[in-house]
Amino acid sequence: MAIEQTHVNFDHSRFSKGLARGLAGALLFALPMFLTMEMWELGLYIDRSRLLLLLLVNIPLLILLARRIGFENISTWHEAVRDASIAYFLGLLASAFVLSALGVLSVGHALPEAAGMIAIQTVPASIGALLGRSELGGRDDDDEDAQDPLDDDAQSGYGGELFMMAVGALFLGLNVAPTEEMILISFKMSAWHAIALIISSIVLMHGFVYALSFSGGHELEEGTPVWHALIRFTLPGYAVAFAISFYCLWTFHRLDGIELTQAIMSTVVLAFPSAIGAAAARLIL
Amino acid sequence: MAKPSKSRSIESGDGHWIEWLTGSVSAIAVIALIGWVGFEAATQSDGAPDLSVKTISSASRDGGYLVMFDVENAADRTAADVVVRGEITAGNTVVETVEITLDYVPMHSRTRAGLIFRNEPAGRSRIFATGFSEP
Repeated sequence: MAIEQTHVNFDHSRFSKGLARGLAGALLFALPMFLTMEMWELGLYIDRSRLLLLLLVNIPLLILLARRIGFENISTWHEAVRDASIAYFLGLLASAFVLSALGVLSVGHALPEAAGMIAIQTVPASIGALLGRSELGGRDDDDEDAQDPLDDDAQSGYGGELFMMAVGALFLGLNVAPTEEMILISFKMSAWHAIALIISSIVLMHGFVYALSFSGGHELEEGTPVWHALIRFTLPGYAVAFAISFYCLWTFHRLDGIELTQAIMSTVVLAFPSAIGAAAARLIL
Repeated sequence: MAKPSKSRSIESGDGHWIEWLTGSVSAIAVIALIGWVGFEAATQSDGAPDLSVKTISSASRDGGYLVMFDVENAADRTAADVVVRGEITAGNTVVETVEITLDYVPMHSRTRAGLIFRNEPAGRSRIFATGFSEP
């Protein structure tokens, strides 16, 4: 690997390895969604304008993600766009392949149905493809520190930190958002449960990043009070996770015809995994 | 997936004003969220779901008459497995009965559904909820 990286010219084996990693990442990260019944059904009945919005939102998301944690040492937007397109396509390929292999998708399906089913799965799969290309590939690189974009001060700013939290929230949130359990739990619990869940989400988020000594965790500079990091990072992170959760539920028609308080309760339920995903993203990505 | 080689990042002591602005806005939003849910928790009543059915439209279709309706739940509790029955009566006898089960009718929310009658329902039909379970 280290030798290959010294090549300046196009390297076919390296490129195909990257594609394979992307596919592996798409499978690894999107498999829970491929195997979720609600996702198949959603592909049939999801409002096409919401699906379109989801597919469009995914484009800048992938580009920013590629720019930040791309497979190779991405230095230009041009390359980021290229990587994002490849990841999008790999996601499409992976979802079409897996859905056909599972027998969910068959030749008998009308084109709009099949397109909807594939399209909705493409979004998580493409994020997985992009993450797979960098995360799976990054491990066996000896000189990983040299190409870790997090070391680049210009890219690890405050906005970048919030963006990574959004990606983490989207990631874990998307996996469970389509399931019926999200709304069922919110129907079962009382408002007091919801308050307890909000507070525990925030405490867990904070603990994940600052208290537990995971590698990649964050530490505060000497003499900085704990509440500084809580205000500056954890609470905005929770707000991001909450917003992402709300968007996911709305996209998946889980909030249709539902009164505001009940919608907030459902969002609080989904914000729990999303918040943990957001915190984990700060450690991992 | 943690990268063992990555060092722990250290947050600087005093952040940029943008960080504090974002932080303050988020803190207010989170407090407002907890406040709102807390207010709901304090004021919610424990009564049973209160279901009512409102007919939206009625149209003739191939092989039947489609009647769309909303089931509204005015209470603070969600109803699950709501059974809605539609009947067409002629005098004292019930001519036709159709039934549907709705997964959920959440609190203060409405769920839309449709029933298909084979006889003309205009003026002699009624649609009502017959039962539910707690989720």
